[in-house]
Amino acid sequence: MIEVRDLRVGYAGRVVARVPELDVGAGECVAIVGESGSGKSTTLLSLLGLTEGADVSGNIKVCGVDVLKAAPRELRAIRGARVALVMQSPQAALSPTTRLGVLMRRALKLHGLPAGGRVMADAAEAVMLDPGILRRYPHEISGGQAQRFAIALAIALGAEVILADEPTSALDVTVQAEVVGVLRRLREERGLALLLVSHDLALVSTIADRVLVMRDGAVVESGPAAEVLSRPAHPYTRELLEALP
Amino acid sequence: MTLLRAQDVTLGYGGVPVVHGVTLDIAEGGAGLIGESGSGKTTLARAFLGLLTPMSGTIWYGTQNLRKADRRAFRADVQPVFQAESLDPRMRVGRSIAEALPRADRHRVPELLEQVGLAPDLATRRPHQLSGGQRQRVVIARALAVRPRLLVLDEPTSALDVTVQAKVLDLLAGLDTERLLITHNLAIVERLCRTSHVLFAGRVVESGPTADLLGRPAHPYTLALRDAVPKLGGEPPVARGRAEARPAATGCPFRLRCPLAVPECERAPEVREVAGRRVACHRAEDVLTGP
Repeated sequence: MIEVRDLRVGYAGRVVARVPELDVGAGECVAIVGESGSGKSTTLLSLLGLTEGADVSGNIKVCGVDVLKAAPRELRAIRGARVALVMQSPQAALSPTTRLGVLMRRALKLHGLPAGGRVMADAAEAVMLDPGILRRYPHEISGGQAQRFAIALAIALGAEVILADEPTSALDVTVQAEVVGVLRRLREERGLALLLVSHDLALVSTIADRVLVMRDGAVVESGPAAEVLSRPAHPYTRELLEALP
Repeated sequence: MTLLRAQDVTLGYGGVPVVHGVTLDIAEGGAGLIGESGSGKTTLARAFLGLLTPMSGTIWYGTQNLRKADRRAFRADVQPVFQAESLDPRMRVGRSIAEALPRADRHRVPELLEQVGLAPDLATRRPHQLSGGQRQRVVIARALAVRPRLLVLDEPTSALDVTVQAKVLDLLAGLDTERLLITHNLAIVERLCRTSHVLFAGRVVESGPTADLLGRPAHPYTLALRDAVPKLGGEPPVARGRAEARPAATGCPFRLRCPLAVPECERAPEVREVAGRRVACHRAEDVLTGP
């Protein structure tokens, strides 16, 4: 679903992310871990061509679309529909004066999909939300519900890939457990591909198949999550693991 | 004799209580206040800092009611450490620290910077010229300036990267000042606090030695918190009960989220001693023996 080769993203001549190789297949979860400024979010955004003003080179294929060469229309067709982006605080992106159901219906219509009540209720139930929530406004729901609504939106639009940037780091730990449970189930039951950006190595170790460790814009280590996180080869990965309280 | 003690303290804003009848001692060896957003932990910390007057009940500062105590002495004994963003952005950090010192002691700025592991020449920098970890150290240096007996730490490392956090925790663990730590991060409490208090919906639901509490919880909420924390290479975090149900207005506040709730839980549980800790749950024995 995602195939990246020799990716370089730079701003004003300074390279902020270099990723030689990144593949995510259907039903797989790959995590990019690292600290602030490591280039992990930049890498994620470049997959949808969302790094405005940056110099991007290399090859990026997402759902068969060559992101760096695609026409804006082609990019619009994958953004939001086949590839969904889940950010840290989805509530900030939801219009405060629009009910969630109206918002979902608009998104479905925008992508030329049927926007029936059944489709929307099913999507809500897939992420363990009561469909009644579609009548609410964004300020009437909690952070965990907003995050699951963002995932429900992806389900309704038939997303095959979810790109998630710190999707649970603003949530209480008990709510995080629920959201992670939803992501794991969708991956198993629907074969969703999941690319997760996170600073939380413990969380990543419980959900990811493979992991890339980034520091100062470069991938310092990558491989199967169980391997990298139990027998780290790079001193920085070791430092990250030892720093866990 | 503990330095600070809350006795049946109810706290609120605009006449609406958010912390209900809390009794707890800040015991030696570090005390942790654990709970999720909205549980009342920061409100309780504000009361311990004398920044919020109880609606009812008493905060004891030694043998005095904090409301009537000498503020100057209290400020020298109890100092807050908030997140690094509490520094004045326009002020050089040396001056920020000097402000907290009596005029005759201002020569101690370099010594305080060294105490928190910073080079004394950083004193001429402004906060934005420092990293997040360095800023947090400055905040700690400023709090240490008056040689307090107790630091009240409200999420002191939650905005920091994990490698930076580890160094700030080492610093805090090495100080010989007592601490009250407010956090949602159980691993940090384990590291810094011998005693812990778990808050839910403004009530202390379990108190006791941290190792016992997290090793073998007696309250279903403590259990839910502990099992929700992802562990490196461990099983995926477990969601026990419904994490987003609102606290119940009557009876046990946790009952709408609790997987063990029974009709008896419609009656508010008394705080009682069970297995070396204080717990407010009708089913504490069942939680302890576990499934």
